[in-house]
Amino acid sequence: MKLLSSHSCKVLGLAAGISLLSLGASLAEDITVWAWDPNFNGAAMEEAAARYKENHPDFNLHFEGFAREEVEQKLQTQLAAGTTEGLPDIVLIEDYSAQKFLLSFPGAFEPLNDAIDYSGFADYKVRLATVGNETFSMPFDSGVTGWFYRSDILSEAGYSAADLENITWDRFIEIAKDVAKKTGKPMLSLDLNDPNMVVIMLQSTGSWFFNEDGSLNLKDNPAFHAVMETYGKILQSPEIYKPVNGWAEYTGSFTGGDVASTITGVWITGTIKAADMPGQWAVAPTPRIDGVDGAVNASNLGGSSWYVLASSDKKDVTKNFLNEIWGNDVEFYQEILVGQGAVGSLLKVREGEAYKSSDPYFNDQPVWQMFSDWLGEIPGVDFGIFTYEVRSAIATQLPAIANGGDVDEAIEKIDAEARVLTQ
Amino acid sequence: MTQTRIGRNERINGWAFIMPALVIVGLFMIWPILWSLWMSFQTGRGMNMSFGGFDNIKRLAADPIFLTALTNTLTFLAIQVPVMIMLALIFAVLLNSPYLIGRGFFRTAIFLPCVTSLVAYSILFKSMFATDGLVNQAIMTLGLEPVAWLGHPIPAKTVIILAITWRWTGYNMIFYLAALQNIDKSIYEAARIDGVPAWAQFFRITIPLLKPVILFTTIISTIGTLQLFDEVQNITLGGPSNATLTLSQYIYNLTFRFMPSFGYAATVSYVIVILVAILSYIQFFVARERR
Repeated sequence: MKLLSSHSCKVLGLAAGISLLSLGASLAEDITVWAWDPNFNGAAMEEAAARYKENHPDFNLHFEGFAREEVEQKLQTQLAAGTTEGLPDIVLIEDYSAQKFLLSFPGAFEPLNDAIDYSGFADYKVRLATVGNETFSMPFDSGVTGWFYRSDILSEAGYSAADLENITWDRFIEIAKDVAKKTGKPMLSLDLNDPNMVVIMLQSTGSWFFNEDGSLNLKDNPAFHAVMETYGKILQSPEIYKPVNGWAEYTGSFTGGDVASTITGVWITGTIKAADMPGQWAVAPTPRIDGVDGAVNASNLGGSSWYVLASSDKKDVTKNFLNEIWGNDVEFYQEILVGQGAVGSLLKVREGEAYKSSDPYFNDQPVWQMFSDWLGEIPGVDFGIFTYEVRSAIATQLPAIANGGDVDEAIEKIDAEARVLTQ
Repeated sequence: MTQTRIGRNERINGWAFIMPALVIVGLFMIWPILWSLWMSFQTGRGMNMSFGGFDNIKRLAADPIFLTALTNTLTFLAIQVPVMIMLALIFAVLLNSPYLIGRGFFRTAIFLPCVTSLVAYSILFKSMFATDGLVNQAIMTLGLEPVAWLGHPIPAKTVIILAITWRWTGYNMIFYLAALQNIDKSIYEAARIDGVPAWAQFFRITIPLLKPVILFTTIISTIGTLQLFDEVQNITLGGPSNATLTLSQYIYNLTFRFMPSFGYAATVSYVIVILVAILSYIQFFVARERR
């Protein structure tokens, strides 16, 4: 007894064939993007996709969000394994890790020189994504830092915006202790596994963990010594910070009102605005390190760029999308500036309206103008390829410093561990 | 006998039956093991690897982080495995008693942690032992000072040991329970008649009779603890200042977190292989039949 007659077989086969064809056709313009922070990168990417879709209705963007370390580890794992199935078309890579990926996995990323005009972008962003004479990134945001504080808590303690303008870290610690005493709220939330503050402080002095030639610049670096001493002072005053563990706890601490402020990159705006507390926030300049020549009240934390995987089979669509919106759409950059705090690296967008406007969420401060100004003051440094190794070595010594350990001893140990890791 | 045709046929059939399994094991286990041995002699960053001779071994000898990871792993081994084996033995003997009501429930309850997802329970432990987590709240209601579980080296190690013990005690207990069923009840009767106290029955009768099973579970537990990764990665991420960094986690960092050094990571993984071999040999030696 035959289950299927030959006629029904043919019909089934035809139906299957047609459905496969239509399935193939409908997947024609689907782009996958891997990134972190759906409130910031995700929102910006979705906005870009919506704009591109207006002129290209077949275009569909799938944003997959993970934590930042997870994106990089996932990518590194797959590139190391050599399999390309499941890799996205676009991936977001933080600037500190850019060279690591480009140098470790030659051929994994698609050079974009033929699709994008790099002369319109900030030079330092283009340089960090370049190997030889090929550039691989669509430069995205700058991590220009600011001191995001709760204006209501600080005014309760008697401090106005003018009191917080261009101060040093020593003054910051004084103010923080006072605020903690008067309002009971710590000023910051710090993750001892992640020395973000050290990175911010160090770049604000114009120095970095590495010299021009790539060798370690920790032991005989007076700027690094000043930074570790300052951070030690903060860690040894437990009333002015709340220890947290991981991204969720960190963002929860200031959106939930447990701490009065956070000093980090402008990209935190997405999270702060998503917390829906209009009028309760304001921005002040990053505090500056005392006693180091060339230290300023401006720094950078993070900042990332979009990269196209060479394994993508939608390279043409992807490159076109990146160039049309991310490479040319000035209005788009105004939107993501105000909505997410994305300070773009496309130079001509600075002329736009939003970059000069005031923001009612931040008590009508001209925040975007402030960030634009600070962006111009950030000392440029060459990140090298081992930033995360050194950060890990610093994180190892932070508990010792918090318990009152000697800063010079800690720097010796950091240097030793960094040497081992950067072989 | 093997010269006969039937014997030869049987031999060929035997080989034919195990061939598929042998090929698969060879391809997916033996070949990668040999390849990683070859990789452990390579140096270089990322995919740019070249032959380096004994450079990786020299690097190993001078690596303080490797030493920390090794010390931590051996500490976990030395404390956690004996505690867990003893606990599992005691539970097994308790739950073997015919007078205990609700034996089935207790056995299930103690075994249930083994079937939970490693990552799921690690994240739960992390939130339980957070500074404002359940455990500290319980401690505070008792009037004691809250402990910074994940913020200091020794409490962090304690949390990891607690987590592993909670998870694997049931697994070992099942092995002992099964083996206990094979012990003749008349031995215990005879011991009771002779006036042997309960603790002596446990140490002089039960444990020697369970020796093969105890040896087996000890070796399995040793291998498992030497490869500890999931708990430390999810609960403490290597702990305050590398206090809970294990060898497997160091390998992971070398391969997937930092600038990839695949050759050196392969070398560290062979350290684990050698450690497992040495410890297993020692355990077989200690448990040998003395004639």
